[in-house]
Amino acid sequence: MRTRRDFLKTTALGAGALSLTPCFNLFGAEAPGSGFPKRFVFIRKSNGERPLELALPTFSAQDKALDEKKQPLEVALDRHELPVYLRGLEKHKANMCILQGLSCMMSENGHFSYSSVMGAYKSNRDSLSGIKRATIDFELAKLYPSPFGHIELSLTGNYSTHRTGIVSGYSAPGPHQRNYCYADPMTAYNELFRSVTNPSVVQSDNAMFKFLEREETFKASVLLGYEKQKLSNHILSIEAIQARNLKLSKMAGSIAKHLPKIDKVHENGGLTATAPQKQEAMTEILIAALITGLTNVVTYTIDELSTPMRGLPGNEGDNVNIHGIGHNGSFSGVPADKIRENIRILHMQQVARIVERLKAEPEGNGTMFDNTMIMYFPEGGETHHGSGSEAPFVILAGDNCNLDLAGRYIRLPYHATEGHKTIGNWYTTLLNAHGNPIKHYGDFDLVMARLKLDQSGAIKQFMA
Amino acid sequence: MKHILVAVAMFFAASAHAVCDEGKPATTPAAPFRVGERILPLLQNYCVSCHGNQTAEGEVRLDNLECLKLDARLDLLNRAHEQIFIGEMPPKNEKQPTEAERNLLTDWVSSELRAHNASKLEDKLRKPEYGNVVNHEKLFSGQYKDLPGFTPDRRWLISEYIFDATFNHLLGIKKTRDIDGKRMPIIGGSLRPFMRINITNPFLLPTHSGVRYYDTTTLDGGHFLTMVNNAREFSAFLMSLSKSHNSLPAYNKIMATEWAHEKLVANRQSYLKSNIEPLLRELYQDKHEALLPVYVASKPVPVKTTDAEGKPLKREEFDGAVPSRDDLDEIYSAMRRHSPNGEKQDEALVTTCEREWFISGVNELNIRLRVAFMRNWMDELLKRRPKAPAPYVPKPPVDSELAIIRTAILKHRKAGDTYAAIINKCTASWVEEFKQERLKEPPLTDAMLADIVDLLFTKILEHSPTAQEKADDSALMKSYIQQLGNEQAFSKLIQTFILRSDFVYRSEFGAGQTDEHGRKMLSPRDASYSIAYALTDSSPDKQLVEAANSGRLNTREDYRREVLRLLKPTDQLYFIDESLDHGYVDSFTDMPIRKLRFFREFFGYPALLPIFKDNKRFGGNYDNGTNRRLVVEADLLVEHILKEDRNVFEQLLSTEKFYVYHSGDNTAMAAATQSIRKVYDYFKDKDWKNFDVEKLTAHLPFLKENPIPGLNLHVLENGKADMNQVKIFKSMMTDYTERLGNGTTVTAPYSSVFGVPGTAKTRAGNQLGSGEVAKAFNLDMGSWNYPTVQPAKMEHRKGLLTHPAWLIAFAANTETDPVRRGKWVREKLLAGTVPDVPVTVDAVIPQDHTKTLRQRLENKTQAEYCWKCHERMNPLGNSFEMYDDFGRYRTEESLEHPDNLIKKIPDKGTPKQDLRDIYKTLPVDAKGKLDGTGDPKLDGEITDAIDLAGRLAKSGKVRQSIIRHAFRYFMGRNEVLSDSKTLIDADQAYLESGGSFDAVIVSLLTSDSFIYRKSTTTTK
Repeated sequence: MRTRRDFLKTTALGAGALSLTPCFNLFGAEAPGSGFPKRFVFIRKSNGERPLELALPTFSAQDKALDEKKQPLEVALDRHELPVYLRGLEKHKANMCILQGLSCMMSENGHFSYSSVMGAYKSNRDSLSGIKRATIDFELAKLYPSPFGHIELSLTGNYSTHRTGIVSGYSAPGPHQRNYCYADPMTAYNELFRSVTNPSVVQSDNAMFKFLEREETFKASVLLGYEKQKLSNHILSIEAIQARNLKLSKMAGSIAKHLPKIDKVHENGGLTATAPQKQEAMTEILIAALITGLTNVVTYTIDELSTPMRGLPGNEGDNVNIHGIGHNGSFSGVPADKIRENIRILHMQQVARIVERLKAEPEGNGTMFDNTMIMYFPEGGETHHGSGSEAPFVILAGDNCNLDLAGRYIRLPYHATEGHKTIGNWYTTLLNAHGNPIKHYGDFDLVMARLKLDQSGAIKQFMA
Repeated sequence: MKHILVAVAMFFAASAHAVCDEGKPATTPAAPFRVGERILPLLQNYCVSCHGNQTAEGEVRLDNLECLKLDARLDLLNRAHEQIFIGEMPPKNEKQPTEAERNLLTDWVSSELRAHNASKLEDKLRKPEYGNVVNHEKLFSGQYKDLPGFTPDRRWLISEYIFDATFNHLLGIKKTRDIDGKRMPIIGGSLRPFMRINITNPFLLPTHSGVRYYDTTTLDGGHFLTMVNNAREFSAFLMSLSKSHNSLPAYNKIMATEWAHEKLVANRQSYLKSNIEPLLRELYQDKHEALLPVYVASKPVPVKTTDAEGKPLKREEFDGAVPSRDDLDEIYSAMRRHSPNGEKQDEALVTTCEREWFISGVNELNIRLRVAFMRNWMDELLKRRPKAPAPYVPKPPVDSELAIIRTAILKHRKAGDTYAAIINKCTASWVEEFKQERLKEPPLTDAMLADIVDLLFTKILEHSPTAQEKADDSALMKSYIQQLGNEQAFSKLIQTFILRSDFVYRSEFGAGQTDEHGRKMLSPRDASYSIAYALTDSSPDKQLVEAANSGRLNTREDYRREVLRLLKPTDQLYFIDESLDHGYVDSFTDMPIRKLRFFREFFGYPALLPIFKDNKRFGGNYDNGTNRRLVVEADLLVEHILKEDRNVFEQLLSTEKFYVYHSGDNTAMAAATQSIRKVYDYFKDKDWKNFDVEKLTAHLPFLKENPIPGLNLHVLENGKADMNQVKIFKSMMTDYTERLGNGTTVTAPYSSVFGVPGTAKTRAGNQLGSGEVAKAFNLDMGSWNYPTVQPAKMEHRKGLLTHPAWLIAFAANTETDPVRRGKWVREKLLAGTVPDVPVTVDAVIPQDHTKTLRQRLENKTQAEYCWKCHERMNPLGNSFEMYDDFGRYRTEESLEHPDNLIKKIPDKGTPKQDLRDIYKTLPVDAKGKLDGTGDPKLDGEITDAIDLAGRLAKSGKVRQSIIRHAFRYFMGRNEVLSDSKTLIDADQAYLESGGSFDAVIVSLLTSDSFIYRKSTTTTK
């Protein structure tokens, strides 16, 4: 593992430099080492994730009691049945980890957490000034650069219609910065695969960059010293984006080969597409972006409380209101709990789709999935109005995963007790395991701090 | 850092005779490295004793440097250069060279580095953290007063604030704020409500305290990538805006034909949507029905009302289950058509509506949602059905248009087509016809292209293009049109403008005659921007533009006139921090924003906002607005002192008066407190504890004149009040009695009753909240005798450094931070320097719950290696230990650890209660030492932070240090010796004006350093 000093050296001046270059360093260099890049998929869900819904139905009485009392626990998944909603992933059990016991009280919680749950800070609701640091997905994207660096997808809305186009995202490239995201599958398709689907726009972009490069070079030619350096940096930036576009053009063959098929129902924002249709199409985009190498990190907000859930199996005629079911409202006679489960089943179908497609793509001596980690987690803790005392994660990790956790149901010590781990510890683990030796990522939990309980650093038991 | 300089000296001394290790001959450098005869003795006198062959401190071997590669040698020289220049070497306890000797050494090392274009010190000296490196005494000695001041010609990257103001201006955003009941224009902020545009600000300033905005930042790849996205968003938005508001006339001109075509098509569509059925019946007569698509009614599914255990299911509410507002409107509309008087209320109505939607071509999903909703909520739909709006009847098209519509229908309708399908096919054919028609039009003329270029230059870059620029951009536009067509080409041209360096950099170049010192005055246009951006975030106002255009921005007096004008109060408001300006607090000012922002950033108290604090340790509700209130009330204090403009620095450092839970409006706050007093005095001797509705209602005339928050007078008046109103009344009276029944004469206008507001408003008219801010000032909210006139004297406070906002900003989550506090005082007020924490140092204070933080810190930093830096910080920072990490005064430090818990206090209570757990304590030691003022009357032992603040306020060096920071703030760079006169003049202006900060600003913005520029271009 690299030391902190090594890291500071290789990231050119460390934190200061990083904070000023939130995006661009994501797509410059090749991945560290000679191997294949690691890939990360963060899937954010709304409405909380109730810990008991992840409990294994075949727990022994002793394990069941430990789980219900929030006591530390670890069992192998291969000896157990999965909860109903996870059964779509039955054949991937060996790659699965159900991780219970993490807390996220230092993030926003409640109905919405915005970027805070992936940055481990209070975000002052959705304010820019509340964004304290680059979120974990962006930090990982820095470690595994790619042409797009980081891609964010979201399926959100205003309770009756979906958001469309390119809109504000939930991830943060740096302090006080909010990412953008693709809010509907067709927009994502048009933007991400433009080098194949709309080459004339790419050509005009290139013409613009060429013109700018010539113009700035001319201006710089008469300057001296530091003033020349200022314009030189401007020119370098233009050149870098041209280089990226060139790289994308060279990838056109691969992109064309893996271009997802997006149904016409998604045209013009896909206002008449059902939620399952939108999820499937967005998942197709996600898979193609990973397989083509456009990115190694995707954050996918699969729903939030205001996402209109139309066409949900079991409630095909309803515009299911996720906030409503959070308050236990039934739709067309289907109880809220059942609808919640159906929504999660739908989510798991998307996870299974990603796993299976990546397992079908050869990479080295294995498949692309071997180098991939998928994390499915609630944006707001343990319930609809979560306090963040628990934040269950469902993780799918390939065989080359740098962490040792697959194939297990793991419950860590409960919040505010000795040995408890927060999402800050979890994200630190991800970073440490992939080359960023940061001592601790994220804010500390104040209750843990008040009790003087150690809460710094990676979760050592996961470090392979 | 070890004695690098001495190590260098060893190398210098040995270089002439160096023999490399292992007997290899020395590598002959490209340019032989020789130490001059005047340098050698200096090195031997001051350096070699520590960095000799056997004592190479710092683990630097220099005896074989001749054998190193050039890069390694230059690296070492660079390190030595910095150490000599900033005076870190030789160490203070060693023999020191004279100033002339030090200069000689510095110049020599510098010349060696320059010979290889490898000097890093110059770059470093531009950075804010090196601002204090230039010797303070030299700057103010007068010895360098005759050096002509200037700033190099430069581009200066726009700040996050200029970025926001620029885009707000370009997007035509004019924000207003209702203050004291009057609508006022307000500038600033990044919020763009109701605008569907996703602009990201890439030019964020660093978050450290002090001066944040320097000319040294250059645009990098991250900025540029964000700007590429911004450019696309902005161009699309601007063009859509122009379509409705003609804000880009040249664009509207080239789009006129296309938009006319769009309008024609839209009219045809509109007519068809309203009239298609009668039109089809007329065209197809009795064949119409046969051509319709075949409708099959859906079947209702029984809905369960109980769960598996037979318990009733909670049904989602009507509003939560609505498919969408549009769908609901369509449902109502169809119900009106098919059951105007409610004659159909059952499945028959649903089926009729479903059939109509199906034939019309409503998509399957929407039909399904509407039908299911009708079946589930028919009872509510009938109850809620609104009155029918007046039917919209589109103007019938002229005959020729009608003929076109009829022809299109006859041409495109096929059996089984829905109405929507027919309309879509007709529309597509018209769109294509018009497109072909436009293709036959001649291309844009050169004049039109030139108009477009002129327009964008004026709008985006705020100046006219040169002939060359016009020609280049016209050619570019032409090439875009060939690739993309008119509309997209225009968009691309806008993007090109946004991505130019001219857009993201401010331009500050000299023009005109060069004076005897090789300087030129700023060009009038650049001067207008420099003055505007010095005081605001916006481009020059009309008067400045006029002054620049009419030759009235060419002299120092011209500058003075404009600066004085801009400093005068106006009706223009500025957001101080828009993200704070909501709910319980306001955050605005009516003074030029950059004047207030200087002190805000200099002191750095807004840094408290991202510090995550524990409510339990606060003993109340800290993160529900208390943090925001602390910042805005610190802002209010700074604004108050700046408005008085007398002894500003001394006041900021030593005022004993503060704002605590105050809007800034003394009259309004007095009225708000009096309203409580009146209610209390009126009812206190009455039997209010036994009031019922009737007895309470009997006092309605009094209550109407003196309303109690939360009490609904309307229901009392209507005789509809229930005991709930009595309960609210009694809660309020209980609260008032607790606060005023103990001898307190005036209580603060907050509310202690959950869910009931206080009696005071912010100046923007919102509820004033977060009364628990008082706890940060050690005020007992139950007995606080509230001063309505503020700022008011607070116990144990002296100046902003004792304001809880500053103390929290310079504290950790759960502990104080004497090191950072001491560092701040050393660097910001005493013009001193503190080296960075070496990467090898683990700068963490060990935990030990039997000791105070000061004791633990002392244990950690007493080693000589640590102390040589910490002695510059700890003796200053320790004095603030009289306050805890929430800024509360204390004499005992609470040893917060479970092992030390004496009493657990409940986690919830009223704002008046202190909910902190009680732990064992140890006495606070806030003694310290002040050194570095250069004044023997002030330097010496200090008793605590109050003592420190009082001494700092009296120090001339502190005053000058603030002026140095003001220089950096307004010039965007570090001061150098040639700025000596500028600094001395500003200091004098302050003294002669009785401590006016306005006088400092005027002095700086009319100084040579601001006005004059030196060229940074080549001669070619």
